[in-house]
Amino acid sequence: MISAFTILFAVALLSLLFHRSVLLKPLSLTAIALSFFFTLQGATVALMGFSSSEHIQLFELVLEVVLFALVLHEEEDITITQTLFLGASSVLLLQADNLLSFIISFESLSIISVVLVSYIKTKEQAEGAVKMFIAGSLATGILLLGLAFYVMGGGLLLEPLATGGSLFMDVGTFIMLAGLFYKLTIVPFHGWAADTYALVRHSHAAILSGVAKTVAALAIFTIFAPFLATHLELSVPLLATLAVVTMTLGNFLALFSKNIARILSYSSIAHAGYMLLAFVAVKSSYADEGILYMAIAYIFMQSGAFLALDSMKKHYGVSTLEELQGFSAQNPILAFFFTLQLFSLAGIPLLAGFLAKAVVFYAGVDAGLWWLVLIALLNSALSVGYYAWIVKTMYFDKLTAKEVFHAPVQFATGAQVILALGTLYFGVFAGSIFNIS
Amino acid sequence: MSAIIFIFAPFVLALLLALFFRGKSSVSKFVSLALFASMLSFSLDLFTKLPNSGYLDLGSFLAVPAFSFTLSLQVDMLSTIMLTLTSVMLILVAFASWSMKNQALYYSLLIFFSGAIFGVFMSTNFLWFFIFWELTLVPMYFLVGIWGAERRIYAAVKFFLYTHVASMLILLAFLLIYKEAGTFDMTLVKEGMLLSPVLIWWLLFVGFAVKMPIFPFHTWLPDAHVQAPAPISVLLAGVLLKMGAYAMIRMVILLLPETSQQYAWVILTLGLITLFYAGFMALYETHLKKMVAYSSISHMGLVAIAISTMSYAGLSAALYEMIGHAFVIAPLFLIAGFLHHKTGSWQMGDMGGIMQKAPYISAIFVLAGLGALGLPGTMGFVGELSILISAMHSYGIWLAVVALGSLFGAGYIIWTLRRVIYGEMSELVAKTNFKMNIFEFAALATFALFIILFGLFPNILFDFLNPAFAQFTSLGGAL
Amino acid sequence: MHNLALTLLLLPIFGALFAFVVGKINKKLAFWSAEIIGLALFAITLKLFLSYDGAIDIPMTWFTLGDFSIPFGIYIDELSLVMLLIATGLGFLDIHFAHDYMAEDPHQPRYYAKVLFFIGGMILLVSAKDMVALFSGWEFMGLASYLLISFWHEKKDPADAGVSAFLFTRFGDIFLFAAIGLLFYLTGTLDLVSLNTMASNGEIEKNMMYLIAVFIFIAAIGKSGQFPLFPWLMRAMEGPTTVSALIHGATMVNSGIYIVARLFDFYVASQALIVVAAFGAVSAFIGATSALVQRELKKVLAYSTMSHLSLAFIGLGAGSLAAGMTHLVNHAVFKALLFLGAGAIIMSAAHIKDMWKFGGFKAKMPLVAFFMGIGALSLSGIPPFSGFFSKDAVIVATLTNPQTDGLISTLTLIAGVLSIAYIGRLWFLTFAGESRDKVLYEKVKQPSLFWIALPLGIMAVATFVMGFFQENIAELVSGAVPHEEHIEGLLIGLLSTIALLGLLVYYYYVKRLDLTQKIAAQPLMQAIHKVLFNGYFVEFFIHYLAKEVVVGGFAKAIHWIDTNIIDASVNGVLTLSQKIRALLAKTDTGLASNNSGAMLLGVLLLLGILFIGGAM
Repeated sequence: MISAFTILFAVALLSLLFHRSVLLKPLSLTAIALSFFFTLQGATVALMGFSSSEHIQLFELVLEVVLFALVLHEEEDITITQTLFLGASSVLLLQADNLLSFIISFESLSIISVVLVSYIKTKEQAEGAVKMFIAGSLATGILLLGLAFYVMGGGLLLEPLATGGSLFMDVGTFIMLAGLFYKLTIVPFHGWAADTYALVRHSHAAILSGVAKTVAALAIFTIFAPFLATHLELSVPLLATLAVVTMTLGNFLALFSKNIARILSYSSIAHAGYMLLAFVAVKSSYADEGILYMAIAYIFMQSGAFLALDSMKKHYGVSTLEELQGFSAQNPILAFFFTLQLFSLAGIPLLAGFLAKAVVFYAGVDAGLWWLVLIALLNSALSVGYYAWIVKTMYFDKLTAKEVFHAPVQFATGAQVILALGTLYFGVFAGSIFNIS
Repeated sequence: MSAIIFIFAPFVLALLLALFFRGKSSVSKFVSLALFASMLSFSLDLFTKLPNSGYLDLGSFLAVPAFSFTLSLQVDMLSTIMLTLTSVMLILVAFASWSMKNQALYYSLLIFFSGAIFGVFMSTNFLWFFIFWELTLVPMYFLVGIWGAERRIYAAVKFFLYTHVASMLILLAFLLIYKEAGTFDMTLVKEGMLLSPVLIWWLLFVGFAVKMPIFPFHTWLPDAHVQAPAPISVLLAGVLLKMGAYAMIRMVILLLPETSQQYAWVILTLGLITLFYAGFMALYETHLKKMVAYSSISHMGLVAIAISTMSYAGLSAALYEMIGHAFVIAPLFLIAGFLHHKTGSWQMGDMGGIMQKAPYISAIFVLAGLGALGLPGTMGFVGELSILISAMHSYGIWLAVVALGSLFGAGYIIWTLRRVIYGEMSELVAKTNFKMNIFEFAALATFALFIILFGLFPNILFDFLNPAFAQFTSLGGAL
Repeated sequence: MHNLALTLLLLPIFGALFAFVVGKINKKLAFWSAEIIGLALFAITLKLFLSYDGAIDIPMTWFTLGDFSIPFGIYIDELSLVMLLIATGLGFLDIHFAHDYMAEDPHQPRYYAKVLFFIGGMILLVSAKDMVALFSGWEFMGLASYLLISFWHEKKDPADAGVSAFLFTRFGDIFLFAAIGLLFYLTGTLDLVSLNTMASNGEIEKNMMYLIAVFIFIAAIGKSGQFPLFPWLMRAMEGPTTVSALIHGATMVNSGIYIVARLFDFYVASQALIVVAAFGAVSAFIGATSALVQRELKKVLAYSTMSHLSLAFIGLGAGSLAAGMTHLVNHAVFKALLFLGAGAIIMSAAHIKDMWKFGGFKAKMPLVAFFMGIGALSLSGIPPFSGFFSKDAVIVATLTNPQTDGLISTLTLIAGVLSIAYIGRLWFLTFAGESRDKVLYEKVKQPSLFWIALPLGIMAVATFVMGFFQENIAELVSGAVPHEEHIEGLLIGLLSTIALLGLLVYYYYVKRLDLTQKIAAQPLMQAIHKVLFNGYFVEFFIHYLAKEVVVGGFAKAIHWIDTNIIDASVNGVLTLSQKIRALLAKTDTGLASNNSGAMLLGVLLLLGILFIGGAM
């Protein structure tokens, strides 16, 4: 059966032969376009333990658009191949519907992530990769620990996650969740992320924080939501605390940072907090749409921001706020796209980030947690502090003694256009998410 | 022509102009003038179409029934008045900005702002209202941050963050309304549907109070006003603050009448404090534009008092004062900015005797100043008289203290005129050339004309303002 | 009639615009259009006066505010007409006089426009049917007064004087504004006639009525330069003398008295007349005594104006509408005469105002000296000039009213009698004796006969003729023929005191000027002189209050609060978040071991919570 997964996986393997060839990019882009087409037709991974829904299908389409942009932007052959692999395993993870298939695809995603960052050129990249690897192995351990508890309590691997059962099963499920939270960078499983996202190449960070994280979030929610909904007395206070701590910590650490990549990393942690809000508000019928919307918005804006930063670093050597001063005069187009994605991250309306937050926050209100939403809103306002500060650096500060240099229009701009259109489209047309199903 | 064009076309136009016409400033200038003029004719045309009471439906777009998220555009008398005021202000601001630097970007941001503000006044869906409400911040952030004075960055960031925090409270209130009333459609929500009207009232009140601004939420305004380029200060005072007052009327007073009645004293007290507090601040100020900014805040205190009466007369008076304030404060800001631009100083002490160098500009400054202190024959007087009468009608004799507000006005305005316009010429003034662009002067003169025209014949406005609150004829006052 | 009345109201405003615009083409045109418009206004008024058959009543609605209609109506009765005659008549003469006085000024269009605007304000005030129109006229005049006082705005003193005039009068106006609110709230009407009727019928609550009456009187105090809001009037002398004559001698300063007279029934019913009388008495005394020691010609007249307006207030306060208002009318004419005479002197004497530099001007300008002498006699209360009759009536009124008989009547008597002293001093120092500044004396020119002496002559004749029509004037302004009470011996006593004082002044200021200077050098006299010269330090006190207490105290305190508490707490969010960030940054060590430790700790905590939760 031909599906997005098979196409992506096969072309990923095939692409190994085309390294150092001009055909690599067209081939990969065609493959992604094809997989988009097949996903649109409703093709799914036709294996036991995998199934799809309209929500998942929509997100897959979005994922493929983002993959397209990522590949369009990418100039390193090996990363293109790995992007395709990562796309394939993301599709798997999204469609996993029993515990075993979920864990297998989750681990494969983790493995590819590690492979991705292990393409090391500098000492910093090495540090980032190693930190991620250590945390990742630990998380896998925790996940397996939880799984062991779960199985010990009588849980079945080839079934969807049980919503009730023995104490061991419940404990096991929670511990598994803890292991998975590593990927979501929930405090206290976030330590690696701040460094890794900031230190590895920005296009890798775009994939890790933009794609892998959102896919994981959506998949985890799909699998665990029924369980959480039946354990509200425990899950709500626990996850609410984690959500508040995560978003607050992320936002405060991002404030006053000088390094742009680091700001984006911390903001990524803060966004994990908002996503967790959907887990807290699981009893609301809007939690589903909330997490989906958040995932869609986030995949566009986070990838877009990191890719823009990648271009900036590549052509202008920008990595700190100081170097960014007056950037709008250097390259108004890139500055515009970066601003757009940052505003989306900040939750400024008419951009996807705002509606995503509005829906997730509404889910919180709907679940009766308006005080939690208030904290999240104030956090969101706090986050405007550093996003607006980046924008201020680009537009309000004067260009410091650098000569104006216009980078040629490249594929990277095409990638930015795609991602910006995504952010805009989902900022206006909420119907595309709500009016399905 | 469909109303939605006036919301989204500006966004697209702004983007196109900013990206592809960067070198051709005159294009953006004339495009924006044409756009604002068509906005004005659209708004004026609405008056002829409005039904006797209630809303005129301008269409619904982008329906998302599952989230009650539909861009429904409806206007009533109140919003049509606001649309008209906004269009007029935009046209005049476009003229007043004639010699601004980096015009392509400037005017495209202005165009962007016009779309957002039209969205605010036309949408009757809470969430869309909020979207446009927030969207007005973005162009303002850039306009203050790029074209502002020395401390523009501080002012722009403070303005953006402060008002954004306030918006978060508003958003929470809207989400609560949706949960409790089951819809984001503000024409369908009734206070009785709400389970926690008090919480919602406070969230909305504080949120809008920041925008108006009312003491103690006012401190962003002097900074933003002072640092913003003069035409943007006009836009801030003339349109953005009015947005706060409009929302306060529509979403606090009209939406939650019972809770508002219960807490009217809060609005009243803060309004009174604002009136006098800002008066004292203006009295002490030696910074010309800051003085104007505090005078502006002081007048918004009057608007808050009028709103708090929740009566037919009071709300009409509030609306009149809002318009009057826009026209009166605009020339003051424009001239303050012009003087700074020419002399390089903000301090009144450095000026003096400008009447000798620029008699016509000075005369307009004097006229607007007299408007600000409420002299009969200007809009300021009619506003103050209406508010005095309506406030006393609702609250009794002790509201006569409102009259004292115009004593403060006299104090700071007359003393400012003495220091800036009259007296001996300072060295700085003597060596400065006060030549003003003809278009900028035309904008000033138009404001001056409005101040007198509507000050002498207020019924021209009240014929429109009164019907906006006709439903209150049967309701009576707050107390 | 209605159309004529409306023309009367609108002509000055459009005339002002017209004069300004044509004046821009040619300076002379400004004067001529103002002169013609001034004459037309007087003619219209005269026509209205002569063909008077009942009040002209034009009710109008200005605007509708919700359920309320705000009126703006015209009501012209005999009282209005008398005031109109003064305003337009003196206004015309003043414009005529200005032809020479302002001849060298480059800003004549602006001058005549403002004067016409002023006359328009005065016409509106006295033709107002309701409080709103009255207040508008009141404020228009205030504005015109401000603009005209600082007409020479490029100089420091006139600019300062303008500020002073505006703020002092505005302080009072606020109370009038509040009174409008109170009246509308309490009675639902702003119509002046109905307010009088309602007050007489007892339809308004007594205490509120008293409060409103006091509020309105505060505004009157401000406008008419009474204690304690008079200092602006003295400073207003910085303006052109023609302005001082018209606005600060003859017309605008009367409006305070007019408003009390207009609402006389209201004042009677509110029992607030005693307040009027009391403040009037204090002001009369301060004005009369301070006028005794001023060096500047115009300041003597300013203090004298204050004192004589007080007499009119006292007349009203003592319950005699006729006495108060006739004095007002008489005073307007002779004070305009004196002021314009002073203008003629100042203009001829190279714009020097210090009387000690004058002396012996009689020879240079005999006509002016003669006409001013008539004005001075009238002001002093010498029969048969008009001032005598009304001043006498006021004094009689205070003595016959038990409420005012005592301190108030004593102060009134002193002020009334002292008039001869200061005006005599003025006349003698200027016209009589030897010239004290030869250089200046040589420069003094003979003023023009047609432009300067003629208006003075007309007014001198008027003040003489009016003496014979006192009862008619009283009837016009009070609506009834007053039945004067006479007190035996008062007349004789008054007149002999005045004569004695006149002789004393003649002796000390003409015959033995050296002796006067010696007396003045005494320490005690110097101290008294200082107090009187500075108007009892009222201005210093108010200035201190405004500058040090209101601005330097309250405003500064609020500024401090705003900067250090309210705004500081907003900006404090920044500092706070920096602190929080520093605290939270400690968790961000960047050590892989700590990251792993945190993860394990998290799992352990979770286990703990789960088991506790599960156990419960």
